[in-house]
Order: sequence, then C-alpha cells, then structure tokens
Amino acid sequence: MILKEIWQYRAMISSLVYRDLHGRYKGSVLGFLWTFINPLLQLLVYSIVFSVIMRMGIEKYGLFLFVALIPWIFLSSSIVNGSNCIIDNSNLVCKIYFPREVLPIAVVNSNFINMLYSFIIVIGAVLIYGDNHVYINWLYLPLLFIAEYVIVLGVTLIVAALTVYIRDLAHILNILVFAWQFLTPVLYPLSMVPEQYQYLFEFNPMTNIIVAYRDILFYNAAPDILVILKAFVYGVILMALGFVIFGKLKKGFAENL
Amino acid sequence: MKDIAIYLSNVYKKYKIYHDKAYTLKDKILFWKRNRFEERWILQDINLEILKGESVGIVGKNGSGKSTLLKLLTRIIYPNKGEIKLFGRVAALLELGAGFHPDMSGRENIYINASIFGLSRKEIDEKLNDIISFAELEEFIDNPVRTYSSGMYIRLAFAIAININADILLIDEVLAVGDIAFQEKCFNKLREIKQKGVTIIIVSHSTEQIEEFCDKSIWIKNGKIEMIGNCKEVHEKYKYYMLVYNKFNK
Repeated sequence: MILKEIWQYRAMISSLVYRDLHGRYKGSVLGFLWTFINPLLQLLVYSIVFSVIMRMGIEKYGLFLFVALIPWIFLSSSIVNGSNCIIDNSNLVCKIYFPREVLPIAVVNSNFINMLYSFIIVIGAVLIYGDNHVYINWLYLPLLFIAEYVIVLGVTLIVAALTVYIRDLAHILNILVFAWQFLTPVLYPLSMVPEQYQYLFEFNPMTNIIVAYRDILFYNAAPDILVILKAFVYGVILMALGFVIFGKLKKGFAENL
Repeated sequence: MKDIAIYLSNVYKKYKIYHDKAYTLKDKILFWKRNRFEERWILQDINLEILKGESVGIVGKNGSGKSTLLKLLTRIIYPNKGEIKLFGRVAALLELGAGFHPDMSGRENIYINASIFGLSRKEIDEKLNDIISFAELEEFIDNPVRTYSSGMYIRLAFAIAININADILLIDEVLAVGDIAFQEKCFNKLREIKQKGVTIIIVSHSTEQIEEFCDKSIWIKNGKIEMIGNCKEVHEKYKYYMLVYNKFNK
C-alpha cells in the first residue's frame, strides 16, 4: 500500500536526488568531477600512508581498505544526511502532503548513486593494482549492491523518524556511526578479531556486506553464498522494521517540527 | 445515492501546548518540568459526509478549528481519535509556493512542485503549457523564481495547484491572490473544475465568496460543527452570532 504510493511519487524522489547530486558541487570550478576526484584522492592518501608510513602487514593495504570503505561511506553518509532530512524539509512537511518516506528514500538513493560513481574508481583501482582477476565473481556485485541498499534504507528510515522527536540523535549518531565502523571489519580483516569475539560480529548486519565486497574485489574469490543470504535476511528485517517505525512516527512529524 | 468523497466519523484533535518545550535530551532530563504542557481540544466529535462533486464552504471565527480541519483533510496532521477517509487524489491550496526554489527557473519549479503533488514526469509534460499560460508567465518562465514579483510567484503556485487533476480540492483563504482580473480567472477556473465533478472545500472569512460558489456551508464553533446546510441560512446565524459575540467583547 505505502510502496504503491511511493511509486506514484517517484518523480518527486528523482527530482530530490537530482537536486542533491547537482547541488552538492554547485559553484565549484570542477563541479560534478568532484564525485570522482574525492574517492581518487582518498585512495591516493590511503595508499601512501599505509604503504610508506604505517605498514599494516597486509599487502596492498590501501586497496584492501578502499574496496570496503566506499561501501561503508554509502551507509555512514546516508545515516548522517538521513537523520536530518525531515527537519531540513520542515517547510514541505508542515505544508504539503506527500508520503514522508520519500525524503529518506531520496537521501539513500542519492548516496547510492554516489557510491556507484565511486565504484568506477574502485573498479579502476582493482584493475590496476589487483591481480588474478576472476571477473565472473563480479557478477555478485549487483546482488551485494541491492542487499546493502536494503540495509541502509532500513536504518535511515529509523534514524530519520527518531531524530524528529529526539534532536540530539543527529549528534549521537556521529559517534555511533564512528564506533560502528570500528566494529565492522572495514579497517581490518575479520580474521584479525580474536576467535572468542567473532560470533559477536555475526550480529552486525554490515559485517557480511563488507566481507563479501572484499572477497570479490580484493581476494578475487567468489563470496560465500551464505554470507550474501545472511545480508539479505538482515536487510529485509531492517527495512520492514524501518517502514513500520517510520509509518508510526510520521503521523506526528508536522506537530513536532 | 451518490458516491462519498470525504467521510469523517467521530474525529477528535488535540494539540499539546508546551509552556517551554525541551527539544534536546539534556533539557528533557534536566528540566523535565519544562515538558509540562496543556492539552487543548481543537476539534471535537466531527462527523461529516461530503459527496463527490459537492462544493462546501467552512466558516467560523479565528481559532475555531477551521484550518486544523483542513490540515486533517490534507493529511499533514492526523486525528487523535476517529476516522477520516478520502476517496481520490487530493490537492491542497493551503500554502501556495511551499517548496519553490528561488534560484531555479519557473519551469524547473513547475516540475519540482508538481512532483510534490504526486504527478509523474509524463503528466507534468502534458500539463506544462496549461500551467504556464494560466500563470501568464510565458516570457519569464525560464527566469529564476527569485526575480518574480510576489504576484507572479503566487500566480505560478496557483496555476500548478489548480492544474493537477485532483478529485478533491482544498482551499484555504487563498482566493485573494493577484489582481482582480486574475482572481476572476481563478474563480472561472474553479467553476470549470466544479463542473467536471471535483469536490471542493473552501475555508474563507468571506461569506459572499462561499455563497457565490458553494452548495452548502459548515459553521464551526469552538471546535464543533454548529450547523451544516444551505449557505444563506448558515451564514445568517453565523453573522448574527458574530455580531452578538462582538458586542459582549466590547
């Protein structure tokens, strides 16, 4: 029911996404090119720092980090932007009816598209620095994109709705996302975690996602199907939870802004 | 038996009036006393059935709950109790131009604004010329909206809202837009829309406007429906009440 209505408002979602992607670098000389320059420079910094200064004992650590960090940034920026999306659009929310889900969905979509652009750089880096490519495994990537999208949408829906009622959440989230990143094997391989704690990482929906990305892009291995399946299960649960919580809380948005 | 367009049953709405609202967690915990609020019932026991194609006016003095009722119908806010059902696409002319982007052109704003009303890109393409010509902005449509005069701004907003093929149109005190010629044009357009069988709800302080345009009128007094019926009869009672009320308050 709500999905059907959101589909009807797809033009609104795409106009919000378009505005965000084009507005982001408006007025800058290089404009849209920044979408590519940003990840490129990040890669450069990581490669230099971790191959020259801070050697990690992992070969090609820069690439190791980069293939996990780009998907991670999709989650973290969606949560941080998403937590304020209702408040930032209070002039619309208080004056016009539209399914409120449109706002967090637009945030997630625009960060998702941004990640896809960044993946052009990721793929380029993998082709240049990596070896023994098994291209067939890349066919898993779209599956992984969808699984991550579903997880991110669920979390973003929840934080977007809660922040209207608890304004501090926007600040608390910065810390939480920061901590979450360190509790996800983004900076280190899962094998580095002491065995007695590894089961705890199973509860982290992002663990499976990051592990699978790295298997495909860094280790040139086929990801464990079970890992992708688990990611989907987490995703579906989170998304369902997100729509239910958001659907309950959205009725009070206009009065609490 | 005609179809029902709007159905309200036992609708109650209260607002919390905070004396000093705490927004942050710290304030909520430290100054929990600040969270004291009064609850005020704005609307009580509203029962209403409006048929498809009817035009209905709503009158009442300031603060009686008219605008709250309209906001409930647009689904910007929701009732505390009771049930509201609307059948068909709703367009509201409450806050004209909400969501306009000053730096974008009139044309871009048409696309953005109409998409907020739930139109697809294709539908907007079809309506674009109608909207531009109704707003009389042919020469300026590619200029940024911030360069528009307030009249042009309102004309554009009205033209978008009125050209959406809505089944239910909600209007709040916005018919005082533009110059007399444009007002006349709006009214003619509204009549045309009414002829097509669109349900129209108008909140206004101008009883003349309602009498000229609506089939019936609703008088809301202190959050309750005081009277529904023929415009002239309702307005007669309403005006008499306002007269007496003013005398008592002098």
